[in-house]
Amino acid sequence: MKKVILIILTFWAFVNANKIYADDYTDAVKKAIKKLDAVGDISDRAALLKARGDFERILQLKKNEWMLNYYMAYCDLMIAWSYMGEKPDNENIKKYNESCIDLLNKATDIKDDFAEAYILKMSANSNRWQYEPDKMNDIITKGAEDNAMAKKLEPENPRYYLVDAMITYYTPESFGGGVEKARPLFEKSWDLFQTYQLKDETYPNWGKDQAAGMVALCYVKRDKLDEAKKWIDKGLETAPESGFLKGYIMKQYEEAQKK
Amino acid sequence: MKKIYLILIAISFSSNFYSQGVKIYGKVTGEDNKPLNGANVVIEGTIDGSTTDSTGYYEFETSKTGQQSLLFTYIEYNERRKSLLIEQGKNIELNVQLRKAEVETEEIIVTASSYTSGQQSQVTITPLEIVRIPGSDGDLYRAITTFPGSNQVDEGSRITVRGGDANEVLTILDQASLYHPFIFDNDFNTSSYTTINPWGLKGINFSSGGFSAKYGNALSAVLDLKSYEMPQGTGAFLWLGLANVGLSGVFLSNDKKLGATVDIGQTILDPYFRLNGYLLDRYNPIPLARGVGGTLSYKPNEKSNIKAIFDYSEDRIGIRNTSPSYDGYFNSRANTIFYNLKYSAGIGSKTYLSAGLSLSHHKDEISYGILNNDVKELYSKFRLDMTNQLSKKVDLNFGGEYEYDEDKFIGKVPSLSYNLRLDAPFIDINSNNHTGRIGGYVEAQIKPFKTFFTIAGIRTDYHTLSKNSAVDPRLSLGWKFAKDHILRGTVGIYHQFPRLEFYAQASNFALKPEQATHYILGYEFNKSEGLFLFRVEGYYKDYKDLVIRDPNSFLYSTVGKGAAKGVDVFIKSRVTNKYSTWISYAYTDSKRRQYEAKTEVSANYDITHNLTFVGSYNVTDNITTGLTYRISTGKPYTPVNGSIYDSTYNVYEPIYSKTNSGRFPTYQRMDINFQYFFSLFGRFAIAVFQINNLLNQKNLYDYTYNFDYSERKEIITTNKRQFYLGLGVQF
Repeated sequence: MKKVILIILTFWAFVNANKIYADDYTDAVKKAIKKLDAVGDISDRAALLKARGDFERILQLKKNEWMLNYYMAYCDLMIAWSYMGEKPDNENIKKYNESCIDLLNKATDIKDDFAEAYILKMSANSNRWQYEPDKMNDIITKGAEDNAMAKKLEPENPRYYLVDAMITYYTPESFGGGVEKARPLFEKSWDLFQTYQLKDETYPNWGKDQAAGMVALCYVKRDKLDEAKKWIDKGLETAPESGFLKGYIMKQYEEAQKK
Repeated sequence: MKKIYLILIAISFSSNFYSQGVKIYGKVTGEDNKPLNGANVVIEGTIDGSTTDSTGYYEFETSKTGQQSLLFTYIEYNERRKSLLIEQGKNIELNVQLRKAEVETEEIIVTASSYTSGQQSQVTITPLEIVRIPGSDGDLYRAITTFPGSNQVDEGSRITVRGGDANEVLTILDQASLYHPFIFDNDFNTSSYTTINPWGLKGINFSSGGFSAKYGNALSAVLDLKSYEMPQGTGAFLWLGLANVGLSGVFLSNDKKLGATVDIGQTILDPYFRLNGYLLDRYNPIPLARGVGGTLSYKPNEKSNIKAIFDYSEDRIGIRNTSPSYDGYFNSRANTIFYNLKYSAGIGSKTYLSAGLSLSHHKDEISYGILNNDVKELYSKFRLDMTNQLSKKVDLNFGGEYEYDEDKFIGKVPSLSYNLRLDAPFIDINSNNHTGRIGGYVEAQIKPFKTFFTIAGIRTDYHTLSKNSAVDPRLSLGWKFAKDHILRGTVGIYHQFPRLEFYAQASNFALKPEQATHYILGYEFNKSEGLFLFRVEGYYKDYKDLVIRDPNSFLYSTVGKGAAKGVDVFIKSRVTNKYSTWISYAYTDSKRRQYEAKTEVSANYDITHNLTFVGSYNVTDNITTGLTYRISTGKPYTPVNGSIYDSTYNVYEPIYSKTNSGRFPTYQRMDINFQYFFSLFGRFAIAVFQINNLLNQKNLYDYTYNFDYSERKEIITTNKRQFYLGLGVQF
C-alpha cells in the first residue's frame, strides 16, 4: 500500500508538473506575441527589448522551438531597424541583425521548410548593406537563395511579397528597384492578405497594415494624395491600432499635404 | 517512509502553489560599469524573469522559492549564472556584471606578416577592394603591392618582397604552383599583367615572411590563392574596355552539383595607345595578348568536390630599344598552358583531405640583335594535404608533394654582354635540364587557451638533380594579450633551390638550396573587426648559400650571403560608412652578395622607404571614387664609369662601378578612378573611368648610354599619364 501511494504521488507530481509546464508555455508564447503586437512602432525600442526578453526567457526553456527562434529573430530585426533612422548606429544594427540571422538559421535548421523564416532572412540579409557593403557578393548570393527558397515553399504568402516589395522599394531605381516597381508588389501582398488563413494562433500574423501603408506611401511619393488616403483608410479598417499607419505613414501623408 | 511523502508534498506545494511573490531586482552592467539595456534575467527552468531597462535595472516577482539559479544573458556577452536562496517574503537585490565574449581566435591572427582575404570576419582586404584600388587595374598582384613590404617590378604584376627577388615569391592556386600567371612578363620596358581573375577567388592569403611549413621552395613570400569549389550562380559578364575586351560565364546546375566557368579575353591596344599619345612606330608588332580559360566542378556529395582548371594565354610584343651597340626592336612571343585537377573530401567529421595534380607549359621566344632565345619550361606537381583535428585544442596538418621541372633552352647568347650587334660573336646553346623535388611537412596548430595560439612545423625537401636536401623547422606564436591587441612572432628556416638555368652552369650541378632564416615580431591593434587596424612589424632575415657567378670561370656556385632588416607599418580604417583608407609604409635595408656582386651590396630591390596611400570614397550609392599615391626610394642600379675600346669588334666595353651602387631618382605616382553602377536595359552594369599617373610623373625604367658610354640617357617607363574607360554588363 505504501508503495502504491508513493507511486501515485510521484506520478501525480510528474503529470501535474508537466501539465502546468505545457499550459505555461502556450500561454506564455501567446502573451509574448500579444505584447509584441502591442508595440506601437519601432521607435519604441524599450518595448521591443521587453518583448524580446519574453521570447528569450521562453526560449531558454524550449531551445528547439523553431517558432520561438523566429519570434526572437523578429524582435531583433525590429530593434536593428530602430537603430537606423537619421544617424544610423551601425554597431547596434550589426549586433541585432546578426543575432536575427543566427536565430533564423537555427529555426530553419530545426524546420527546413519554414517559409516565414526564409522571408525574414531576406529582410535581415538586405540590412547587411548598411554595415558591410563590401560583402556585396555574399549579400546578393544569400538574398537570392532565401528568396528562391521562400517562393518555392509558399508562393502565395503575402509576407513574401511584402518583404520582396520592401527590398525593391529601397533599392535604387538604377539597380532595378524603386517606387514604381515596388507598388504592384505591395498591392499583390495586400490582395493575398485578404484570403490568408492563419495556420494556428501562434503563427506569424504581421504585415497586413504594412502592405496597405506602403501602397499609400508609394502614392505619397508620387503626389497622388487621394489614392494614398484611400489606402491608409483601408489599412486602418483592418488594423485600427497600427502604429505603423498612425505614426509613420500618416506623418508622411500630412507632410506631403502641407506642401 | 511517511517523512518522505511529507517532504515530497512539501516540495511540490512550496514550489507550485502556496508561495507568495518575492521581488528580485538589481542592475546589470558591462565591464566598464556601463548599464546594459536589454539584458535578460531568468530563473533557470522557468520563464520567471525580466529584461533590463536603459539604466540596466531589472525587477520581477516570482513565486518560486528555495535554491535557484539565475541566468543573465546579453548579446555578444558571456552568459553568467548566479545561485541564490529565495525565501518567502524576502526581496532580493542582485547586481551582476557581464563580460564581453571573446571573438574566436582565428588562424589569420596567428601568422605574422600575413594579409588575408576571404569570408573570415577579420579580413584585411576584400576582392571588391582589390578591383577598386586605383592604379591596380583590377590586378591582384598590383593590389598586393599596396601592402607594406612588397614592391612592383617595372610597375607590373611581378612582386618583390622585402628586398628579395621576384622569383622568391611563390604563387599557389589550389595547391598548384603558378610560375607564369602573367602576360608581357620580363619584356623590355613593359608592365606585366596577371591572368588570374580575382572574382573566382574564395580566399587570398599573402604572406611576406614567416609562413607555414606547408609551403616549400620559397625564400621570401607566398601568395596562396583558393578558388571557389563551385561557381556562385549562373550568369555572364561582358567587359568592353578601351584596351581590352572580355567575356566570362558561370553556370551552376539546379541541384548545385555541377558547375562550370569560362573566361575569354583579348587586348586591343591600338586605340588605347592613340588616345594616350604613344608613338605607334615604337612598337612592331603592337602588343597583343589573349587568353581562354575555364573550370569544371563536380560535387558528388556534400563532403567532396572535384574541380578541373584549364587556362591558356599568349602574348607578343615588339618594342624599340636603342642600346649602345644595337638599335632595333626587342621582340618577344610567349604562351602558357596550365591544367589543374583537384579533389577534396572530408573524411569523418575531423579529417579533411585535398589532392591536386597540375601541369604547366611555358614557351618564350625573345630576340634583340644577336640575342635569340627560345625557352620551353614544363612544370608538373602532385600534392596531397591532410588536416586532422586531434582535439579541440590541437589541429594536425601534414602532406607531401612531388614536383618535376624541365627547362629547354635553345638559342644564341652574345659572348660579350656589351656587344649585341647582328654580327657579334655568340655562343650557341642547346641545353635540356630537368629535376624533381620531393617535399613533405608536418605541423601542429596548438591553442592551449583562447587567447594563445602556436604553430610548430617542420618540412624537408630533396632535390633529385643536385641530390641536396633541406630541413626547415618553423615556429609561429600569436598572443591576444588584451581585447583588440595581438602580439605575433615567427622564427623559421626557409630554403629555395636555384633556377635550373643556374644548375646548367654549375660544376656537377652542385648548388645548395639558397637559405633564409626569418625572425619576425609584430604587434596589431584591431578594433571592431577591421574598423580600425594598426600593424607594426619588424623583421630580420639572414641569408646564406646564395647563388654567385664566378667572374672568371662564369660558373655558378652557392657561396653568397647577406641579410635584410626592416619595419612594416600598416594602418587601415573605415573612417565613415562612405570613406575608407589604408596607408602602408615599409623601411627596408637588404644587402646581399648574389649573382654578379663581388661584396655584400644593396639587393636588386632594396627600396629603403616605401609609402603607399589608398583612399576610397562612396560619393553616392552608385558612384565610388578612389585615389592611390605611392612614393618610394629609387631602385638600385649599377652605374657605368667609362669604357674601353675593343678594336677586334669595333665596340666599346663598359666599365661598371660597384654592383648596385647607384640609385634611380625617387619614384612617385598618383592614380585615380571613378566607378558608376547603373542599370542598362534592366541589367546590372558598371562603368569605370581611371587615370593612371595623374600628375604625369616621369619614373625611370633604366639608363642607357650612347655608343662609347660617354653620355647617359634616361629610359622613362611607358606608364605616363594614361586614360582608361571600361564598361561591364552582367546578364
